[in-house]
Amino acid sequence: MNAGQQTTRRLAVRAGQSICRSCRDTISRTYASAAAAAVQTEDSISQHIPPVTQSSPNTSYGVNAGVVLSRPPQITRDLHPFESAFFLYQRRLNERLALPFTRYFYFKKRTPADLEWKRKMKQRLTPARDIGRYQGYGEEAWNDEVLVGANESKFEWQVEKLLEDAEQSGAEPGAADAPGMKKVERELFDRPKPRVTEADETNDTKSLNRALQRTLYLLVKNKEGRWEFPQDKLREENLHGAAHRIITHTGGENMNTWLVGHVPIGHHQIDYPEPRPTEKLNEHGAKTFFLKARIMAGQVNLKENKLGLQDFKWLAKDELKNEVDGSYWRSIKNMLTER
Amino acid sequence: MALRELPFRTAAALCKDTRPAVRVAEPLFRRNASSEAAREVESSSSLEVPPPSEELVKGYDPLARSRLRRRGNKELPPSRYQYRSPKYYRGPLHPHQPPPESDPSSRLFQPGPFSLPRLEQTYQSTIAADLLTLTYQHYPPGYRAPKTDQRLRQWTGDSPYYKNRPLRPPRGKGEVLRLLNEPRTFRNIPKITKVTLHSMVPEAQENSAHMHVAGMILQAITNVRAVSHKARHNVVGWGLRQGRYVSVTSTMEREDAQDFLAKLIDVVLPKIKEWKGVPGSSGDGHGNMSFGLTPDQLALFPEIEVNYDAYPPKMIPGCHITIETDATSNKDARLLLQAIGLPFYGKLND
Repeated sequence: MNAGQQTTRRLAVRAGQSICRSCRDTISRTYASAAAAAVQTEDSISQHIPPVTQSSPNTSYGVNAGVVLSRPPQITRDLHPFESAFFLYQRRLNERLALPFTRYFYFKKRTPADLEWKRKMKQRLTPARDIGRYQGYGEEAWNDEVLVGANESKFEWQVEKLLEDAEQSGAEPGAADAPGMKKVERELFDRPKPRVTEADETNDTKSLNRALQRTLYLLVKNKEGRWEFPQDKLREENLHGAAHRIITHTGGENMNTWLVGHVPIGHHQIDYPEPRPTEKLNEHGAKTFFLKARIMAGQVNLKENKLGLQDFKWLAKDELKNEVDGSYWRSIKNMLTER
Repeated sequence: MALRELPFRTAAALCKDTRPAVRVAEPLFRRNASSEAAREVESSSSLEVPPPSEELVKGYDPLARSRLRRRGNKELPPSRYQYRSPKYYRGPLHPHQPPPESDPSSRLFQPGPFSLPRLEQTYQSTIAADLLTLTYQHYPPGYRAPKTDQRLRQWTGDSPYYKNRPLRPPRGKGEVLRLLNEPRTFRNIPKITKVTLHSMVPEAQENSAHMHVAGMILQAITNVRAVSHKARHNVVGWGLRQGRYVSVTSTMEREDAQDFLAKLIDVVLPKIKEWKGVPGSSGDGHGNMSFGLTPDQLALFPEIEVNYDAYPPKMIPGCHITIETDATSNKDARLLLQAIGLPFYGKLND
């Protein structure tokens, strides 16, 4: 035991009443000398069983179960311009450093596919289809930076180029095919759906098709007109049973949901100004424990809800901040994901 | 509450003392989960700098400038502007040191990453948080984990050489020290670290073409150079002879691994007829799971389908896929793989 540790303990003791017993125990235990260790082994065994019974049953809190029902992100996020510029830079660097494309392993000589490959290579100078017109070998390979205002690093541009490559043969529009050549069969494909949906444009917060890149959380307006996660008093049931009940009581049967685990992911506590007497106890406040659930399919229908809810919204984290109370936000913000 | 107050009180007590207050300033910078994060160090981003003027942009053509210079034979002296990393490392005292591996001028430089894979994004936004919730184990306040005793064996005896010797591993052949299952926190959520493809082609001992085909297929699928391995022993039952090349592997990490898994789960496995899933008996107890694909299942990869004719059909091998995770038990690893979309069947190996 050295002087510094002793000081910490002394300070802790001096701090007096404000330290709870377990903390003080921890401090004294950590720096206890080896001689005391033998005595303490019995202590530590008994400490594995935490104190369950409370000495004063009069102060108590009402227990609520809440459900954080969320829809996970459906598509990849938009890249930051720096990220996309970095990725393009690395791809062009790779073009310079990688071994050349083994052309005849993929295209037999003097086949239509080979001719098409040649035409396309003449246009874009490189086997990669989505890095723009750039040649990785030769005198001018150093010129790998894109100019101001160029689109090459943009995701939409790259997707467009890949689709173009799949649907075009690279021939001039007027040019006739060489006689006797077979046509290359092109696979039909659907163009990808837009990343911004109709619900995004109209800002329809009731729709689950909005903000596909973000996690959406179900927020409901309760009897008092406050926006919060669906919650209810705990009856004679366990937390996850209550969560299942709350989901059906809120949104009806027309939802396919999955409860993620049986443990709460966060809690919110409110303290009443005056203790409210119930049958046996005085309730000094209420604690809400939130369970996490995911919605797989379906939609919320408040028509026959049994919790007296007035309205609902599907909101992302930063939108949710403006709807809920300050204290509520402080207790829920760390259990919501950024994206 | 008392726990939170302690540092402040300690600091106050330190101030009162005559001793110099060494860490007085620290509590001010402490951040609790409920308080706001510190603001960014740089208030303005370099991306907000206005772009160069219109005429400057229009007149800038680096290629034309360089061509003009070359035409006039006014090239820059190459020796002065080109840096070459030394071919051999000559020790830390040599004046010509190689640049770090991350430098593009280094001989060991490997470009990348080229994208932010979808699987990685899903893991970050959805899977990791769900796994933490699913595997969370609550301990009531005041709980202290029972101490694990020393799992390695001591050197007992009178020999003076036993002093400071490293401890001995468990007794018995095939006994290994199992991994410790630490309580789950946000720091040790299981994630995929590596994916290894392994293809055993004993026919390559007679005809090396099998080895070439297997290597080409593995490289095409994984985007990683395949490594070939020799047989270590003679095994008569399997027809192995020592020292002959019999198998190829390729090991993927990061982006390659994520892309491979996404391709496997979304494209290849759905195309397999009556694929039951990964056998539940899979798993080595240390977080690694493996399963196999037959030759005709391997041929369903889009990279092979695109030029299937280039491979001799009889020589296409099967392969084993090992997914290495940093989970410490089969259960956790299986949970992770189920979350990314690999089903398991049969009796589970826990």
